[in-house]
Amino acid sequence: MSKFSDRRKFLKTTSAATIAALGATMPLSGLLSSMKPFGKQSSADTVILLWMGGGMAHTETFDPKRFTAYSKGIKSNDVLSTFPSVPTVLDGVHFSEGLESVGNIMDRGTVIRSYVAADMGHILHSRHQYHWHTCYRPPQSVSAPHIGSWVARELGPINSSIPAFIDIGQRFTVGEGEELKAFHTAGFLGNEYGPFMIPDPTAGLESVRPPVGMSESRFEKRNQLYKELMNQGAMGEYGSDYHKESMKRSMEQAYRLLKSPEAAAFDLNKEPKSSYDIYNTGKFGLGCLMAKRLTQKGARFISVTTEYEPFMNWDTHENGHTRLADMKKRIDAPIAQLVKDLEQSGHLDRTMIILATEFSRDMMVEGRPELKVQEQVKQPDIINDMKFYGMHRHFTDGCSMLMFGGGIKKGNVFGQTADERPCKSIKDPIVIDQVHQSIYHALGIHPETNYVVEGRPFYTTPDGKGKAVKELFG
Amino acid sequence: MYNKRLFWVGMSLSCICIFAVFNTIQIAGSGLDLTGSLAWRLLGRLHPIAVHLPIGVILFAAFLEILIIFKKHAAYRQAIQLSLLIGLVAGVFSAISGLMLSAEGDHASLLLLRHQWVAMGVLCLSGLAWFKHAELLENPTKRSLAGFRILLFANVLLLLLATYFGASLTHGTNYWSSEVSKKTTKTLLTKKTTSLAQEREPGLEPDPVFVLENEQLFTNIETPSMEDQADLQLQVRTILAHNCYDCHGPKKVKGDLRLDHIDLIMKGGESGPVVVPGNANASEMYKRISLPEGHEDIMPSKGKKLTEQEIRVIALWINTGAAWPDSQQVKKAFRNAALAPRNPVLPLDAAAYGNPIDKWTNSYLKAKKLSWPSQTDDRTFIRRVYLDLIGLLPTPKELENFLSDKKADKREQLVRQLLDREDDYAAHWLSFWNDALRNDYTGTGYITGGRFNITNWLYAAIKTNKPFPQFVKELVNPEKESKGFIEGIKWRGEINASQRTEMQAAQNVAQVFLGLNLKCASCHNSFISDWKLTDAYGFANIFADSSLEINRCDKPTGKFTRPQMLWKDLGKIDSMESRKVKMAQLAEIMVKPENGRLYRTIVNRIWKQMLGRGLVEPADQMDNQPWSQDLLDWMAFDFQKKGGDIKSLIYSIATSKTYQTKSVGLKDPNDIVLQNYSFRGSLRKRITAEQFSDMVGAIIDPIFPDSIMKFKPKYSPSFVPPGGYFARAAFVANNSFLIALGRPNRENVTTGRESQANLLQALELTNGERFNAMLKRGATKWQSRYPDGDSMLSAFYSLSLGRKPNSKEKAVAMKILGNAPSPEDIQDFFWAALLLPEIQIID
Repeated sequence: MSKFSDRRKFLKTTSAATIAALGATMPLSGLLSSMKPFGKQSSADTVILLWMGGGMAHTETFDPKRFTAYSKGIKSNDVLSTFPSVPTVLDGVHFSEGLESVGNIMDRGTVIRSYVAADMGHILHSRHQYHWHTCYRPPQSVSAPHIGSWVARELGPINSSIPAFIDIGQRFTVGEGEELKAFHTAGFLGNEYGPFMIPDPTAGLESVRPPVGMSESRFEKRNQLYKELMNQGAMGEYGSDYHKESMKRSMEQAYRLLKSPEAAAFDLNKEPKSSYDIYNTGKFGLGCLMAKRLTQKGARFISVTTEYEPFMNWDTHENGHTRLADMKKRIDAPIAQLVKDLEQSGHLDRTMIILATEFSRDMMVEGRPELKVQEQVKQPDIINDMKFYGMHRHFTDGCSMLMFGGGIKKGNVFGQTADERPCKSIKDPIVIDQVHQSIYHALGIHPETNYVVEGRPFYTTPDGKGKAVKELFG
Repeated sequence: MYNKRLFWVGMSLSCICIFAVFNTIQIAGSGLDLTGSLAWRLLGRLHPIAVHLPIGVILFAAFLEILIIFKKHAAYRQAIQLSLLIGLVAGVFSAISGLMLSAEGDHASLLLLRHQWVAMGVLCLSGLAWFKHAELLENPTKRSLAGFRILLFANVLLLLLATYFGASLTHGTNYWSSEVSKKTTKTLLTKKTTSLAQEREPGLEPDPVFVLENEQLFTNIETPSMEDQADLQLQVRTILAHNCYDCHGPKKVKGDLRLDHIDLIMKGGESGPVVVPGNANASEMYKRISLPEGHEDIMPSKGKKLTEQEIRVIALWINTGAAWPDSQQVKKAFRNAALAPRNPVLPLDAAAYGNPIDKWTNSYLKAKKLSWPSQTDDRTFIRRVYLDLIGLLPTPKELENFLSDKKADKREQLVRQLLDREDDYAAHWLSFWNDALRNDYTGTGYITGGRFNITNWLYAAIKTNKPFPQFVKELVNPEKESKGFIEGIKWRGEINASQRTEMQAAQNVAQVFLGLNLKCASCHNSFISDWKLTDAYGFANIFADSSLEINRCDKPTGKFTRPQMLWKDLGKIDSMESRKVKMAQLAEIMVKPENGRLYRTIVNRIWKQMLGRGLVEPADQMDNQPWSQDLLDWMAFDFQKKGGDIKSLIYSIATSKTYQTKSVGLKDPNDIVLQNYSFRGSLRKRITAEQFSDMVGAIIDPIFPDSIMKFKPKYSPSFVPPGGYFARAAFVANNSFLIALGRPNRENVTTGRESQANLLQALELTNGERFNAMLKRGATKWQSRYPDGDSMLSAFYSLSLGRKPNSKEKAVAMKILGNAPSPEDIQDFFWAALLLPEIQIID
């Protein structure tokens, strides 16, 4: 009999394995989603977008050029970078001074130097940001969804206690706040998939805890009261009315979320001090810490931003050099730590981290060399004051991005910009459609995913024509 | 003869094969692009041949097993063992070749997915059956035998299913069944039209197809009439729509060829033109569809070959010049509602019903053999009508007075009173119009001076019940204070040609006031209606200083068109005149009685606001069929005749038995737009963000402080809100609380809100700061106002639901409201109670 029991056991495990394999390659949701070819493999489950809102100058960060130190009387046109460059862990690849930590982890990811932003005739940050995040240029005839909402819609949350789309670090009370709201939306996909906003990561826990001042037991009692009152009232009359059902369901979800142990992921105070301190360079750094914690518990799409505020942060209309030194300090250590921590916990391979900005900056060119747009910054030809020393104009023709994890090639440089002004993309230019589709490709979302809105199929990228850049993947 | 070594070899081989198969899936999926190679394609194409082997062999094994059952001796065991082995190996090869073949196609259709899944199941079961049978041979027990037979016959069933799906893929789903009901060509085509039409385009009416008659006409007569030509063209469109659009349409453009519009048909594909007008034999389209079945190049390449008649229709069409209809003559594939107003004679058999609306509903119910839904009781009615008309709850006193009122016409009087509460009425309907006219206090465009607020004008217009024609005229031909709607939102920089403010104006006027979607036609001829690009530009030109260059898909064409109303017979626009004059001309045309569409559209919107579902759904597609054409037409005619008095319209609806029916709920929100809807009563609605905020403000504590009001209306001196003044949500800028509860951001026109609850909304209600702060404030107030929990409980139920709590509710609530409830206890009670469906839903 022994050989049969062996066989039986083998059979059992084989069939179980087979069924498990069946399940793994073809989730049931695939049948229901609009487009999902059988067996499409994904290389990422989670996306972390590190959003450098305001226009991060590439020659001052990940694509340094010839350095010109400040001294009175230097010509604006001669200045390409206001920082010297420092080596990274990759041979022959340099970053701008101040990004040493990130430079040290470039063996885990790719630096893209040839992102080309759209040309929309006039530089308005929020318009370019809208375009970056939705892949559509405003105005649109329907409300276009944020990429986070697309992902939330197509894949849903990983951990049902962590909202599928979380946005950390952006307040709407800033200037251009209304324009920002215009793309922080799930649009026609429905409010279900909108962003869960956490403007301040240090207060993030409050968003997922019972109301401030309410103890756990009181929260429990309150919920119990709600349930009991519901049962005693005139409930039966409503039958299976969808209003009632959706209310019940969503209140239940909210309750579970607020009670779940996973909510502790939002509590930065639970992080060991040594680790906390590395991330604690400011709001952005702590946002990265929250992203790390959430990813390790199972988050789907997290956006962490240095926050866009007109003329603040990366949006340097003057004092570019001094501001950039500060900005780099804010981002260098946390980003490097984020990548390393996720690598250590084994999450990096299935987490795609992207650092991006809506366009770059230059001292002289506003817009593109061939398509200059209305100037918005006063930049004298001769620099006599520190406040003019920096990249203050908005440059759309060459921009840097970083990508880590989620199947991205390690230790790779993609694309190239010119070494002399204009420092535009000269090799392998990449546009936003391709960026989005590369993300979808990694996640296993079909490139022609679309929904019909007002009779029109609305695709993840315009007309469903976007193509992922396969060379980015290793 | 069974051999241990053979067994282990065989078993390992099977397992390897199964996992190799899955890895093959992964390779194919990751786009290593082996799939293009010749070897791949050749092996893939062996699949239809290869599958026959495992099918035959497994069925043979089953047949032998059946013989064993009947003959009761195991003569065929060894043969069965061999068959199962062959079946398994052949099955593995079939599966692999099948996967290779599927790589040839593009996206997995549902049918393909089903076939693959079931086939994998078959493969696994045949492997298991073979194992089981080997075990059985070694050690024949009754149990083993039973187990084996179960596996074998399950395998056979699944095999048949896989075969069915597979055959459906190659031959179409009704390959066999279509033979069953093949009477005449006419019937066949009609049947197909009906079923497919319902699958693809709800609302597409089946059209009878008279193929043979046409052919005779065309071959016998020199110049076929326009009517006949239109008939033929419609048939061609129908054939193309049902057989070709899947691969040659807006979603998929195989061979760079689209067949969903005449321009695109004529343009051809990557190998050139497919239609040579006058010469079907030289036309690629005709050549491909008339290839023999199974031919490599046949079209359609997926699904059934066209029937003889269909091929002849295409040939006829090409040979007679491949003409396409002029817009006047065309027999439209899309339903177009009548434009002219219509005044149907009131039914004579409805004397029992005073309100004409009810006469029509009565006719409708009679025709459908439905009985009148029962009427709602007074308490439900007063709550519903208060919320629908003024967005507030009745105070306990108002409720009490109404309930104890004995007058026969108390409901009519109540409605009259509510409509006379001008400020409350205006505050409520302001939100409806803000959504529709895309008007908000904050939003994109304001900082760049590209957007204009119209609240002052709008509020006054609603409050004074401005006649609807005047309302429309002042929006379409605005003065400064109402220009925001037409001016749209102007972004700095370059924008898509279809989103210029003139185009926005055209789209928004068409959507809001005429119930038609001009957005598609703003880039190209619409695929879902008969509107053309020139129609959209013609309309937009009315709002333009000078004629706009027509852009097709954002590319300039060098062409222009004159300004023109969408239905030019309604009236002319003078292209020589200034923008102001053109818009004035449009304003007059829009409100003409002849423009029945305008009046039907607004009547439908108001009806939808009150009854939860329009007579026509979606309300932005007024070409769809209303559930009662008579009712819609009569109401629109009456409304226009009375000068477009909105309040009068609301009064008629609110005092009708139709409105006062007991509410019904829907299981699925998508059911609202189903075209086979039948009226069973008012639909249950969810309170809006504003209604909830105002409810809370009146009962507990204002949720918005006066300081954040963006609009401060001047209330009439005689008016004092019974609940006291507080900032109504309609006057406050959008914020996270209102967004969570469904207020749209008014970037675009919104003619209906999402009413389903979702997680973000629930979170805002569960721990949102604003809501909680309000609960705290309210609790403190109530603690000082009421002596004990009991009185608090009664007060709350009275204020919010107009009734006393029942004993069970009381028992539950008193657990927390006890004797001397703390503010926290009161807060928690408020929270739980406010979120009850009975409060959240308008019954």
